[in-house]
Amino acid sequence: MATRVSAGRVSAYFIAIVVAVIFLAPLVVATLTAFKSPREITQVLSFPTQLYLDNFVVAANQMGRSFLNSLAITIPAVIFSVVLGAIGGYPLAYMRGGSSRWIYFFLLTGMLVPFQIVQIPLFIFIRTIGLYDTIPGMWLTHTAYSVPFCTFFMRNFFASVPRSMYEAALIEGCGPFGYFWRLLLPASTSGLSALAIIQSRYIWNDLLFGITLTNGDEAQPATVAIAGFVSGVQVQYGPLMAATLVSVVPVMAAYLIFQKSFVRGLLGGAGK
Amino acid sequence: MTSVAPARRRFYFSQRAVHLLFLVLPVLLFVTFFIYPIISTFYLSLQDWDGISKSMKFIGMANYVELLHEPRFFHAVLNNVTWLIFLLLGPTGLGLLLAAILDRGLRGERVFRIVYFLPFTIPAVAVAAIWRWVYEPTSGLLTTVLNVVGLGSLAQNWLGDPHVVNFALMGAVMWWMTGFSFLVFFAGLRNIPVECIEAARIEGATPWQIFWKVSFPLLWPSTIVVLGISAVDAMRLFDVVWATTNGGPAYASEVLATQMYDVAFGRFDMGRASAISVYLLILAGAVIMPYLYYMSLRVQASEAE
Amino acid sequence: MWKVGSIALGVAMLAGVGGAYAQSTTAEVWNYYAAGSELAGMTALIDQANAANPDTKFVSKVIPGNVVEMRRQLQTAFIGNKPPAAYQTSMASELKTFVDGGRLHPLTDVWAKIDGDKIFPEGIQRVAKINGVPYGLPFDLAEINNIFYNKAIFAKLGLTPPTDWDGFVKTCDALRTAGIEPLGDAGGPFWSLYNFYAPLISTVGTDGYYKIARGELAFDSPEFRKALELYRDTEVKCYAKNWSGKSWTQTADDLINGKVGMYGMGVWVAGYMKQAGFKPDTGYDTFPAPGTGDKAIFQMDLFAVPEGTPEMIKAGEEFVTTVASAKAQEAFATNKGSISPSTEVDPSVYDVDFAKFATQLATASKANAVLPNLFFLLPTDVGTELGNQIEKFAIDPSDATEHDVISTLEAARQKAMADNAYTSW
Repeated sequence: MATRVSAGRVSAYFIAIVVAVIFLAPLVVATLTAFKSPREITQVLSFPTQLYLDNFVVAANQMGRSFLNSLAITIPAVIFSVVLGAIGGYPLAYMRGGSSRWIYFFLLTGMLVPFQIVQIPLFIFIRTIGLYDTIPGMWLTHTAYSVPFCTFFMRNFFASVPRSMYEAALIEGCGPFGYFWRLLLPASTSGLSALAIIQSRYIWNDLLFGITLTNGDEAQPATVAIAGFVSGVQVQYGPLMAATLVSVVPVMAAYLIFQKSFVRGLLGGAGK
Repeated sequence: MTSVAPARRRFYFSQRAVHLLFLVLPVLLFVTFFIYPIISTFYLSLQDWDGISKSMKFIGMANYVELLHEPRFFHAVLNNVTWLIFLLLGPTGLGLLLAAILDRGLRGERVFRIVYFLPFTIPAVAVAAIWRWVYEPTSGLLTTVLNVVGLGSLAQNWLGDPHVVNFALMGAVMWWMTGFSFLVFFAGLRNIPVECIEAARIEGATPWQIFWKVSFPLLWPSTIVVLGISAVDAMRLFDVVWATTNGGPAYASEVLATQMYDVAFGRFDMGRASAISVYLLILAGAVIMPYLYYMSLRVQASEAE
Repeated sequence: MWKVGSIALGVAMLAGVGGAYAQSTTAEVWNYYAAGSELAGMTALIDQANAANPDTKFVSKVIPGNVVEMRRQLQTAFIGNKPPAAYQTSMASELKTFVDGGRLHPLTDVWAKIDGDKIFPEGIQRVAKINGVPYGLPFDLAEINNIFYNKAIFAKLGLTPPTDWDGFVKTCDALRTAGIEPLGDAGGPFWSLYNFYAPLISTVGTDGYYKIARGELAFDSPEFRKALELYRDTEVKCYAKNWSGKSWTQTADDLINGKVGMYGMGVWVAGYMKQAGFKPDTGYDTFPAPGTGDKAIFQMDLFAVPEGTPEMIKAGEEFVTTVASAKAQEAFATNKGSISPSTEVDPSVYDVDFAKFATQLATASKANAVLPNLFFLLPTDVGTELGNQIEKFAIDPSDATEHDVISTLEAARQKAMADNAYTSW
């Protein structure tokens, strides 16, 4: 028994390390490139001879205010979309009967819509309500287009919260609203956190809505600046990789912050 | 008893009202931002329109009929189906494996957790640039590594060979997307009550048995999310293919979304492109809806236990 | 607490954004030159336009990507009635689609003011005008019929630039014997097509080139087939192993590092190589692809002014007027590393190899042998299909592929003929 367990552990370490190395290798190339001068970039797998920091200067100049715009867009949009996902997912997880299922499927069809096809009606709508080229316009858009996914995600998460908790709460005189706010949300931090991480990544990396709905320094997100490095005919690999390294930081920060709530046994006593 | 019943009924009524109230905002946003664009896309698919002119010509179902005679269209459909199979199995399986391994509490777990998630945070344009280096056919990372370990004969013209390019792209997407399923599974595993696992361990179950008999069934909701999203991603797949190969060489790696984009803006045929998106929507619906329906039944069944 | 915080944050941002969202009389110039020397060139144009027109504030809006992304953004803007004052576009068919759609403002007044018929060579005017009316203001030109070669390798092997196809194939053989891949190419619908123009012109001549552009020469004609076969027996035979899996910069790296001997590419590759420290006098040189010795096949960017409000049209006209000036043309060409389409720019402003490319253009212009990129002369879907099919043929030049390529292209031609999509350039 003991040997089998340790054999299992050895193979676990083996797999974990091999996958980690494979995952890191392309990132090493990217990082090396970020520190190379244009002269050295022609040799993809070489090491930079000195730390060439100009790429970061170029990246910073190019991204400029757009980095702050991205933060101003992403943070509230993540909060709104996750909260809205919880709000939509809650009744869908607890309501009984056909109507909830119909609404659920109705919302899910939204996940199948390729975003490229919504852009013209979206552009017209956002301009009509006066939110073109504004950060609140981006909040609204991201929140709205996150409805199907966030609802789907939270509905499934809430479905894993034992129903006995709900019944008990109702019997104790806690209304459906109170249950949602005081019991269900606190008990669902790991789901909310996972969703917040995914949403941070999705909204932070959005390019399509950023290009369609903003047009200048006021609201343009960083992804537009990053995509600019592969614009026209030329490709600026050094600054592109430098900008990428910088742009990964906020999403990683969100990941590190939110994943703290992935704590085992959060629902401990209420197990099935 | 008799005095309790109406109160109870009133209580359930209010419960339902609160539930419906919760749904107002999501449904409102959905109708505004999704239904109208879908209807307008369908309208456009019945027109002959270059996307630039001020006028368009109604041509009925002609766009739909003509697409059915195009090998290029079916090639893209086939690619989407291949991607569907790949995304359901590949990143999902690896993500589950990694989450299960880390959940055992390895030393350095934090580091692994960061490494597995890192690629998922990278924007698509950068993923394309990075994998262009990995897949450079003569001196790129992959070919070089294969040469070093003596497997040089396995090296391919990764992105340039029409028969290889789709698999190469899948490799890049595996790297990029596994972080998602890893994250969801890991969060799901961490949400499983300790007591369940402890009880199984006391009964002498091996870690392998614990995983399949105890943890995995409790992961159903996470699995549904991951599989559902993978299927959706397979249908909507666009950015990484477009940024890496533009659907090339000579349409080999084209999927419906990139074809739609090319037809709309590369060829100035908005009507045809809209018909492609409607087909895409129908295909996605046909593939994904039964799955979602079936899965939601399963969840309710397992809840009812 | 969380909720309160987020609302406070939201309100604060709304206030901040609202303050910044005051309407100003700015004129957007859309372009896809977002980084590096391309950005430097564009910035120079915007700065000069602002200096010359104090009442209008020109701002550059970058549409990341290329002409395809630009079309997408324009479509949205047209439908939303908010087009830019001016935007970067390409020549011929690209302009025609927007003119036919009633979206472009004729530049007749500007053209008269700047004397466009005098400052731009005939071959260039032809693709800036639609039915004789100017709609685009040329500012950025690059030849695509030159072959770059690694001087050190040629010197070591005692090779000289070939002038005909026999010599070209012999040069390839010598390079291959010495263990060097002879000719670089890159994946994508453009690069193989641009290489193909030389065998095409060698076979059908300038007249045939224009006949194809007008749809008069069929793709299943013996001439076109012969051109494909000449391409197969020369350049395709010489292509480096695995060329189709490389991007154009990766193949440029191969030329720099001496892994390929020659590379047929637009002259913008010179900018990339110089940036990488590979110099024109010592590292590389160019020769015109066989059959195009006295010709200049070119790719060109222009600015177009969309129909819109009178103020925006006025701003757009001001902008393109500035761009037409010799000073602006020079600033763009030298900053970006390209050739000015204007004959008013003094050739002495260029560095050593762009001086050579400018001379090539001037000479070809005198001989009336300036040929616009066929891709943009053809109706858009025929041009795009041609690019894809030539790439397919270059990857697998078998008879079966040749058959497929010809029938696909001919079907595209027939459809475009039926739709009346061809133009007599």
